[in-house]
Amino acid sequence: MTYLVAALRRPVIAAIALVGLCGPAVLAQVSYQRLLKAESEPQNWLTYAGSYKSHRYSPLTQINKQNASQLKIAWAYQMQRAGVVETSPIVADGIMYLTEPPSTVTALDVRSGRPLWSYTPDIPRDVIIIGSPPVNRGVAILDDSVYFGTVHGHLIALDAKSGIVRWDATVEDNKHGFYLTLAPLALDGKIIVGVSGAETGIRGFVDAYDAKTGKLVWRTYTIPAPGEPGSDTWGKGDGWKSGGGSTWLTGSFDPDLNLLYWATGNPAPDWNTENRPGDNLYTDSVLALDPSSGKIKWHFQFTPEDVHDWDANETLVLFDAQIGGRARKVIAQANRNGFYYVLDRATGEFLTGVPYAKQTWAEGLDAKGRPIRKKGIAPTNEGTLVFPNIQGASNWFSPSYSPQTNLFYQAAREMGTVYYKGEAIYKAGTAFTGGGGRAVNGDDASGAIRALDATTGKMKWEFPLLSPGFTSLLSTAGGLVFAGSQEGNFFALDAESGKPLWDIQLGGNVLGIPISYAVDGKQYIAIAAGFTMFVFGT
Amino acid sequence: MCVTCHGFDGTGGMGPPLNRPKLLLAPDEAALRNIISEGIPDRGMPRVRRVTENEMRQLVAYVRSLGRTNRSPVTGNAQKGRDHYARLGCAGCHIINGQGGSLGPQLSDIGRLRGADYLRQALVDPGAMLPRGTLPVPARGYVEYLPVRVVMKDGSEVRGVRLNEDVFTIQLREQSGAIRSIRKTNAEVIRKDAGTSLMPSFKDRLQGAELEDLVAYLASLGGVQ
Repeated sequence: MTYLVAALRRPVIAAIALVGLCGPAVLAQVSYQRLLKAESEPQNWLTYAGSYKSHRYSPLTQINKQNASQLKIAWAYQMQRAGVVETSPIVADGIMYLTEPPSTVTALDVRSGRPLWSYTPDIPRDVIIIGSPPVNRGVAILDDSVYFGTVHGHLIALDAKSGIVRWDATVEDNKHGFYLTLAPLALDGKIIVGVSGAETGIRGFVDAYDAKTGKLVWRTYTIPAPGEPGSDTWGKGDGWKSGGGSTWLTGSFDPDLNLLYWATGNPAPDWNTENRPGDNLYTDSVLALDPSSGKIKWHFQFTPEDVHDWDANETLVLFDAQIGGRARKVIAQANRNGFYYVLDRATGEFLTGVPYAKQTWAEGLDAKGRPIRKKGIAPTNEGTLVFPNIQGASNWFSPSYSPQTNLFYQAAREMGTVYYKGEAIYKAGTAFTGGGGRAVNGDDASGAIRALDATTGKMKWEFPLLSPGFTSLLSTAGGLVFAGSQEGNFFALDAESGKPLWDIQLGGNVLGIPISYAVDGKQYIAIAAGFTMFVFGT
Repeated sequence: MCVTCHGFDGTGGMGPPLNRPKLLLAPDEAALRNIISEGIPDRGMPRVRRVTENEMRQLVAYVRSLGRTNRSPVTGNAQKGRDHYARLGCAGCHIINGQGGSLGPQLSDIGRLRGADYLRQALVDPGAMLPRGTLPVPARGYVEYLPVRVVMKDGSEVRGVRLNEDVFTIQLREQSGAIRSIRKTNAEVIRKDAGTSLMPSFKDRLQGAELEDLVAYLASLGGVQ
């Protein structure tokens, strides 16, 4: 029980952990009440990012600075088929639920790594996936069901004990390029999802489904129709209809303010603005939504009239801070455009924005957080070199926030792209991008894990990476930050200094998203690399 | 962006020349279209997906027209070039058809893979023209045969070409052929000498037409006339 420092002070939680010691006699229900207090049962990992605040922080302390060097493999699970694995597992009451490419869910026994069940939907051979590899980033759990999205545009509920389908809802028609890669977010009786597909010129939206029936409760489009507020930011034509604004990564939630935060992606076509003159609301923005109605309470746009494909879907991290002598509830994001932002999450007021990676497109941000663009940064027929690159200074991969250090940990991609403008003709279900880019890669690119003062964005330390990978981070109360590399390294850093304490070569690109859990009184770290899920303990 | 590897007007560079009557991997329109959209990942050619049908049609038509431009950038005598190759001891470091040393890249079909301008430059200033992204290891976009000098914490020194690298380790091949695996925490200095090569420049060792002869010989390797 030494791992449960916080729980020792909380008898109820210690009792839950004790059940874990004996093996669960009855599979518990993962109620909304448990999700609300996910951090209070650190032996489990109940939501995509560990809690509604999206800290990706584990309060477990058994693995710590003193013993990290002794980490060794506990078990490994090989995926059923090759593909890009970007999953963040859920661990609930002795079972790990992970997703495999493209849209498979598998339940594993966390003690042995042995599969308990696996479910794969029928994916049509002509499925349209334009804009990313066919990936899945994880499931959501609520009560006795797990929920996941598919590359053919469905949201499916499975019985958590058996993997049997409870319901299967078509979110939107894949023939028009809609597909799902994100882990859904479970709220009170509702499952929230967004969609991918801006590279086929979709009109993005956020959806809420009834968790029991799969019935659509509300849909909020990320692009206003003519006459709605913000519609004047699209010019006079039909650009809004195919304007992108995907919603492809899991949002965050503040139950006290009763606000759901969801970020949006690039306007379409990506690199050609001819048919969409204006700011293109609400692309590249964060939306604060009323979770009961989907109504937009406030918005903040990071990159108006984006012409570099800098989706703002990156994970939204919620924490409380003292700013100017005043307690503020804030929301922070390391944006793909190279800037780190801190906003007031009650109002959307811009508080701070500073670069955390090389960027050559903006002089800075004005008092309201709007970028002051440099001249000559737009894509051209001949090509324009701009930092960050097309995949951005950050992307889907998870940051981590440690309340222990008040540091925001982010893997930064130091890379440029030569951006080209091309023609853009909308045809349903085909690429609608208006250009492209040539990456400045190899030895001319690099990466780093940076620890930013969460309130100011000021860098406290950095750990260099050979290449700009897609590195997700986990911080722990043991004073550690776990990270991987494109070259297959997985390692632990000292959360206060960035000093490496342990590393192992896993033999495949570390695209998985790390989590921590405990079972039978022992803490573990889980990470997918290549086509394998690895679990480490001391 | 095709220009970066295939040269202006498809005359070739680090990537193969495209101004030939027949492209080996893309003999017809469908094959060319397929190569453009799928790439040749293990040879460093990226796939080109973000083009409209119209742009693709124009691109395919343009590349196919290059074969009719009838340029011949190679003016030397390949037979004489072969003699220079033997005289200068190139086979000490390069394999052609299975024969030779392996410190440098094999040249068995180098004429098919590289343009004449690239070959000429590689003889005159090898460091300026290290290939990148043409081998499965290290990884796409990385410089191959990159000279690295490592000073270990115990003061010893290791020099070699980089075979691979990750965040915590680097693997080198010494001139002797020995493979050295180095943990970066044990190194004081790791210097990557970009812009240099273990191969000497042959600028002053090839007289008059000899350079063009050698270029002609190399350009002929791989069955290219």
